[in-house]
Amino acid sequence: MLLKILRKDFIRKKVITIALFIFIMLSALFVSSGSNIIMELMNSLNELFDKSQTPDFVQMHSGELDQNLIIKWSEENELVQEQQTVEMINVERGDFYLPNKKESEIDSVMDLDFVVQNEKFDYLLDLDSEIIEVSKGQIAIPVYYKQNSNINIGDIVKIETENKTLEFDVVAFVRDSQMNTSLVHSKRFVVNDEDYRVIKEIGYDVEYLIEFLLIDSSKIEEFTNKYQESNLPNKGINISQTMFLALNAISDGIIATVVILVSILLCIIAILCLRFTILSTIEEDYREIGVMKAIGIKKKDIRKIYMVKYIAMSLSASITGFILSLFVNKLFTSNIMVYMGSAPKTLLNFISPFVATLVISLIVVLFCRIILRKFNKISAVEALRSGDAGELKVSKKRFILNKNKQIDVNIFIGLKDVFQRSKMFSLLFLVFIISSFIIIVPINFYNTIHSPTFITYMGVGKSDIRIDIQQTDDIEDRYNNVIESIKKDKDVDKYAEYITCQYEMLDNDGAKENINIETGDFTIFPVSYLKGKAPEKENEIALSYLNSSEKEKEVGDKVILVINNQEKEMVVCGVYQDVTNGGLTAKSKIKTDKDSILNYVISLNVKDGIDVKNKVDEYSDEFSSLRVTDIDDYLSQTLENIVDQLKLITIAAVVIAFFVSILITSLFLKMLVAKDNSQIAIMKSLGLSLKDIRKQYITKALLVLDIGIIIGAVLSNTLGEKLVSGLMSFMGAAKIEFVINPLQAYVLCPIALMIVVSITTILSTLAIKKSSIIEMIVE
Amino acid sequence: MNNILEAKDLCKTYSAGKDNELNILKNVNLGIKEGEFVSVMGPSGSGKSTLLYNISGMDRLTSGKVIFNENEISSYSEEELSNLRLNKMGFIFQHIHLLKNLNVMDNIILSAYVAKNIVRGEINQKAMELMKKTGIYELKDNDITQASGGQLQRVGICRALINDPDIVFGDEPTGALNSKAAGEIMEILNDINENGTTILLVTHGTKVAAKTERVIFMLDGNIVAEENLGKFKKENNDLKERESHLTNWLLKQGF
Repeated sequence: MLLKILRKDFIRKKVITIALFIFIMLSALFVSSGSNIIMELMNSLNELFDKSQTPDFVQMHSGELDQNLIIKWSEENELVQEQQTVEMINVERGDFYLPNKKESEIDSVMDLDFVVQNEKFDYLLDLDSEIIEVSKGQIAIPVYYKQNSNINIGDIVKIETENKTLEFDVVAFVRDSQMNTSLVHSKRFVVNDEDYRVIKEIGYDVEYLIEFLLIDSSKIEEFTNKYQESNLPNKGINISQTMFLALNAISDGIIATVVILVSILLCIIAILCLRFTILSTIEEDYREIGVMKAIGIKKKDIRKIYMVKYIAMSLSASITGFILSLFVNKLFTSNIMVYMGSAPKTLLNFISPFVATLVISLIVVLFCRIILRKFNKISAVEALRSGDAGELKVSKKRFILNKNKQIDVNIFIGLKDVFQRSKMFSLLFLVFIISSFIIIVPINFYNTIHSPTFITYMGVGKSDIRIDIQQTDDIEDRYNNVIESIKKDKDVDKYAEYITCQYEMLDNDGAKENINIETGDFTIFPVSYLKGKAPEKENEIALSYLNSSEKEKEVGDKVILVINNQEKEMVVCGVYQDVTNGGLTAKSKIKTDKDSILNYVISLNVKDGIDVKNKVDEYSDEFSSLRVTDIDDYLSQTLENIVDQLKLITIAAVVIAFFVSILITSLFLKMLVAKDNSQIAIMKSLGLSLKDIRKQYITKALLVLDIGIIIGAVLSNTLGEKLVSGLMSFMGAAKIEFVINPLQAYVLCPIALMIVVSITTILSTLAIKKSSIIEMIVE
Repeated sequence: MNNILEAKDLCKTYSAGKDNELNILKNVNLGIKEGEFVSVMGPSGSGKSTLLYNISGMDRLTSGKVIFNENEISSYSEEELSNLRLNKMGFIFQHIHLLKNLNVMDNIILSAYVAKNIVRGEINQKAMELMKKTGIYELKDNDITQASGGQLQRVGICRALINDPDIVFGDEPTGALNSKAAGEIMEILNDINENGTTILLVTHGTKVAAKTERVIFMLDGNIVAEENLGKFKKENNDLKERESHLTNWLLKQGF
């Protein structure tokens, strides 16, 4: 019996049933894929960290190093399981050539660190997650270049100096648990011991990674304090395994979040459609429901007839979505597979996405129950008497045609109808809000992250060029040379020097922890502050957003720095956003302690009319060992992974939004035309042409769309900004202000949506042709 | 006087399943003169309404020709037919068929606003005059739910007349009304006809048909007879005689 009812209902409402099925299925598909990404990410990361044996603690260091001292300290330290020091040759970017490229990597922001495979732990793995071994003349290059420079096995890369040219066959790609992501500006290339010695002879700078595996990883804080209290090398930042995990997970984590958000939006659309369908079904069956009630069928039983259909549909759609997700998961996790590799699947890999899809169908069923409560309100007598659910109870006095002097009649009738039946149009309205929201937010975010002003979210003021001088023994000489040169350069409009030092800071419990503090004049290239202002006095310190939240320090709070064993009280004067260095930085005007210097950064602007690229090349040639970058390149290369992923999301969001708009508009209008059949027939009998009547329907659709777009745009710039800020706060930027391209966001997208909706409306209202007064009379 | 409307060999066939065709109109020939008031009578299923809707271009013929104002309208496109209905024809239905979301006056003026033959102020003026003439002026701002059946049929008449049509078609316009209201509606229609508008209506009622100029009798999709009663004039006080004459004639036709 129930099957019979289901089949009849399906035949009667084929289109809407299929559409509902698709929405629930897509929602289930995305939620399943989102949870699958999370599971894969966690598993792959664990697998990568497991196979690589990623160190628990890494201290970067440039300069002199006494390995014996480190070994001795490690042996005496009961927390240390294993220690190794990795030597890395920092090959100059101007000397390194990737295959198929005439230009060297001079414009790259990445440090090219050449290493040999590690002996004890921190293994560099190939794409099969095996420990890489290379012979003489061979090289394994970071997977980052495979993805971004389209390099293949068998290609040749070369190091070319004035006197020497070294060529290497690419034999493998490196999965590096420490430096995989583009957010880390160092990339490790694996070469053979013999080649390593040859490269070293060229005389490039050498950097060290002093790495520790701990017996108990949870005691990392205790270990970090002990290391910092020791006199072991520390000219560089130190990083824990947790930070490596966060850096690796961030871009795919954002994708997973966005996919789940899309799924939630689709679920909302499905529920809205469901509401519309159920209410119009009730309206159509109003008299029948009245009859059923009148002959004594219980409310519960009547509701069951309707519920069965939606339970069956939501369950089957969710399961289909889950099955489909098994096929599309590869698309979403391809980035994870390349960078981290696949891990053996556990039962949880299947259970979690399945449970997530079941939750979707449960939500749908729950909403059905809520919507079907309307049955309780139907009185048998009223239903039998009127046979009409009375959708037009709104006052008709507001839009009077005979008082309208200017507006075209058909447009007027269209407008009037939307306002009179606003409740019914709310489905279309909400769909258009959601559609414009899911188009505008990713576009705005993409434009923001692409904009040169995004640099302010990296804790740096906007300048044309940035010169990085990393820690070496002769760091000061190099710095002075650059400054001298800049001072003499008439093309330079203004410049500012920033020195980053590593100091210790006492946390709330009095324990010491390292903090990187940048000093300099912050008024030349100002950064925008979330709270407070830039440091002006020597005792003032501005903290990055993540530092401020992690250390629970607000503007006006005091922090204690330890400089040369002297405690110095500082006042927090501002909080700014910074996604670099894991988001943990600070700015101050304190005098720099030469022994604590980590690096110098010189920001400069060239005068109007001077070509920035030429100036970058000029400085790169002059200071070949330094990193001279056009700030736009610096940004794009740092954010490459995120921008690429975001591009994918933006395209997907636009496609989904258009798909949803087309589907819902056509669905809604088909139902509306069917519902308005008699009214259309009357208008036709009066002599209104198909063109006239279509104009009314296009007006209705476009009015709802326009209001939807306006509200969608407002929500995108308020709620959307907050949403993106929430996502980015994990990286250190908690208050993103969208850089809006008004032409794209407010002209092109809405016009494209309007065209699509208008065409859909015209196609969906073809049924108007069939409405005829004759059929009404026959009925 | 010239024929304003002419039907030649009009056929209308409906398909009622495989290999089963219903011939509703069978080679009907008919002419309506300008200014005439004609009624069509006949038993249910004789094809009265079908004739009305096919001759007015509301429905498509299976074969034959319809000529209106010397133009063959049976070959018109949908657009041309809409234009014709808008400007040259008026319709009055038994169930009135008003637009639910418009008030009384807006229902009347809608087609005139679309036709744009005169400015909106004049249309409003004209609508108010029509409403005064038909006695529904007080209802002009009311919802259609706030009027009786008789009043609504007057709204339908005003709507049919708003664009000064050459001909008005009525499909049992008094069919759903009580005899008093039906009488009043026929009075209005006679007035309109007196002013020169041609009227063709379908009716079951002898009282109604007695007030028309010519009565056509249909049976099984054919016009089998017609009777010219002459113009009805109230002042002649001959309604009773017209009614009895018509009744006798209909009896002769087997009605």
